[in-house]
Amino acid sequence: MFQRMIFSYFSFRSAAAACAISLTLLGSSLSAQDLDNGKKMYQICTACHGAEGHGNQVLNAPQIAGLDAVYLETQLRNWKEGIRGAHPDDTAGLQMRPMSMTLKDEETIKDVAAYVATLEAKIPEATLEGGDATKGQAAYAVCLACHGPDAGGNAALKSPSLRHQNDWYMLAQLKKFKSGIRGSNPKDVGGMQMRPMSMTLVDEQAMKDVIAHIRSLAEK
Amino acid sequence: MIEAYLERASTYAGDIDNLFSVIFWIVVLWGGLAEIILFYFCFRFRKKEGVKGQYISGEEKHQKKWIAIPHYLVLVFDVFLIAGAISVWYNIKQRLPEPDLTVGVVAQQWAWTFIHPGADGVLHTEDDIKTIDKLHLIENTTYHFELESKDVLHSFSVPVFRLKQDIIPGRKITGWFKPIKKGEWDIQCTEICGIGHGLMPARVHITSAYDHQQWIVQNTPGSSGQAYASASN
Repeated sequence: MFQRMIFSYFSFRSAAAACAISLTLLGSSLSAQDLDNGKKMYQICTACHGAEGHGNQVLNAPQIAGLDAVYLETQLRNWKEGIRGAHPDDTAGLQMRPMSMTLKDEETIKDVAAYVATLEAKIPEATLEGGDATKGQAAYAVCLACHGPDAGGNAALKSPSLRHQNDWYMLAQLKKFKSGIRGSNPKDVGGMQMRPMSMTLVDEQAMKDVIAHIRSLAEK
Repeated sequence: MIEAYLERASTYAGDIDNLFSVIFWIVVLWGGLAEIILFYFCFRFRKKEGVKGQYISGEEKHQKKWIAIPHYLVLVFDVFLIAGAISVWYNIKQRLPEPDLTVGVVAQQWAWTFIHPGADGVLHTEDDIKTIDKLHLIENTTYHFELESKDVLHSFSVPVFRLKQDIIPGRKITGWFKPIKKGEWDIQCTEICGIGHGLMPARVHITSAYDHQQWIVQNTPGSSGQAYASASN
């Protein structure tokens, strides 16, 4: 009995210590980024993405609030290095490309990504019509592995959350993946993973269906 | 004079520079003369004891000559300027020499897409090579360029060519240049085109015919699995 108590006591202490270390590490990794600098560097982004990061369809700018810092960092880096947004037919991507070049170094990219990750997302308005969420549920089966059953994404796989993504933006990106405008650069690891997935959607209607399903997940 | 600050890399860069120099020295001459006379008069007619200031209406003939003579002389200089400007304008903007090659230039907020003819030397064929923000040209080759805009007004400016041409959405504007010096220089948009206007610089790469051929071989779509030449090329 005494031995069990001693064992439980030490198990509890070990678990508590592990939790404390984890929280400390998490805290230090977040505080490692300079959010003030990130906010300052974000000013140029506000012209299109808005101060709250909610986006503006007229300017081809999607909502970026609600995306995790790792995904944001990866995409900013891809733009800056010409891995994303360097295709002649990627009109909106080419708009973003010079903006990424204003981020002078890796630390600045991390700072602005960390700041954007703190912005609160909203459920964007629906702009697409004709999507069938029930049909889309079946098509979403291939997306599950990376984007998750609730479309919340998976930071370990660098898969972004789709829950707060604009429907028009998702449609545009699916079309770009499918046509090779996005995700055809060999250095775009995530994009190249996404390309074959987009191929499973036979036409625009299938894309709208799966987007309708994603929206239904977000609204739950 | 301008060449000391900015190299000349096209056949007509010298003509533009000479025209600028003529304008500059005429302005220097008249500006300098006017200042010298102004200060001379300030000194000559300064306040003196016992001399009362006069009101001059400027209607007398000997007074009007100070305006009339420079006026006629400026008009004479204008004739030389206009003759020089028309000659340069005709040579660069109105005369369109037969091209060896044609390149496409598409401007958008905030990037340039350059479309180069592939190995067949003909634009708008399957082997065209598209690049972002990088224009590849051959030295001593006469080019036509076709300017288009995807969105708003832009202006295609290559300072070393002394070339600047506005781009208007919905129109295809054709012009020409002939690079004469190998190297790498700036291309700029010189029409305010939105928040990223200052962030859309590009580069022109002028190489020998042999080097350009190598570049074509490396970047032709399909030959190396490329759909387009990446921005880093």
